[in-house]
Amino acid sequence: MKRGQPPFLPLATLVLALAAGPAAANNHRQAERISMEIGDEPGRVATAEQVIEEGPFARQLVFFRSAEPPGTIVVHTSERFLYVVQGNNRALRYGIGVGREGFQWSGLVRVTRKAEWPDWTPPPEMIARQPYLPRFMAGGPGNPMGARALYLGSTIYRIHGTNQPETIGHAVSSGCFRLANGDVIDLFERIAVGAKVIIRHGASI
Amino acid sequence: MMVAAFPASLIRRLAPAALALLLAACGTTIDESVTTPRTLTERPATIRNEQLIGKWGVASYREEKDRKRVEAQARAQCRLPYIITKGPSDGVMMHLADDAKLYELRIKGGSDGKTYLGPESAPGEWQDREVISITEKEMIMRFVDPEVHGRYGTFIYVRCPG
Repeated sequence: MKRGQPPFLPLATLVLALAAGPAAANNHRQAERISMEIGDEPGRVATAEQVIEEGPFARQLVFFRSAEPPGTIVVHTSERFLYVVQGNNRALRYGIGVGREGFQWSGLVRVTRKAEWPDWTPPPEMIARQPYLPRFMAGGPGNPMGARALYLGSTIYRIHGTNQPETIGHAVSSGCFRLANGDVIDLFERIAVGAKVIIRHGASI
Repeated sequence: MMVAAFPASLIRRLAPAALALLLAACGTTIDESVTTPRTLTERPATIRNEQLIGKWGVASYREEKDRKRVEAQARAQCRLPYIITKGPSDGVMMHLADDAKLYELRIKGGSDGKTYLGPESAPGEWQDREVISITEKEMIMRFVDPEVHGRYGTFIYVRCPG
């Protein structure tokens, strides 16, 4: 893993990512239905302000070579980083939690919707294991979706907050990308609906 | 673990205040009407098991502004209903908070005029739910334990057709 090093975006890899695009995302829709199935703690409260304050997963400005326009989100699944391109070879980098092995994906999508304190519907598999859960939970501090959500294309993948900030840096979901609540609030304010989101699964060269 | 060093009773007493501070920090409205668990004497209950038995769509909310839409969501959850059945003695089979096992729970009238649902114990104990309202088609409950209530919010049960 190359945490802390400036990532590059080779043209060939970008072309592959763009080609995979929505099709790759669509192939994973079913898998995403069990996103947050493993190890989630619905009902657990995390403060909205919580951010990753130190270490590699703390929000920070980094060197980032990219031809993408400012405002583009680039997710490096293997590095557990999400970058917001700033231009001039700089990006704002956030630590994230990603899909566990077998549930990671790549592609090009756009932010189609934004929501504050999004609602949450536990997948049926989770209800089977935790039958005491409500089948629908209105957005709030105990909701595993956290403080904010950016909806990705027509998929059911999202960039969202979490009530488990300790999972940042780990592969825990089935394809969603999670940030600490304070960080996702910061990201939410910077990103507009329509923003391009590039998800890269492979390691940087 | 550090928590184990404190008596459970102390943690119970401090939990509401801690939760209030936590939620206040989030800028979230606190429902101050949440029952504070205390020892109550039992009175005859005003509802019957039969009113609870059946299939229910279940959803939860924390803020009153969400109640109407959550009610609609509860109705939509009948495709994955919560099923309450009659227990082997004089209760109904339901879950406690954070526990996947079924227990026989009993309806208990409290000396505070409220109705509770929980294990065999005095009404208003920590594992109980408070039955806030109940009609033929809908019931609203919340956990007595403020910590659990803070996590899950208020539950709306909408009776499923059929």
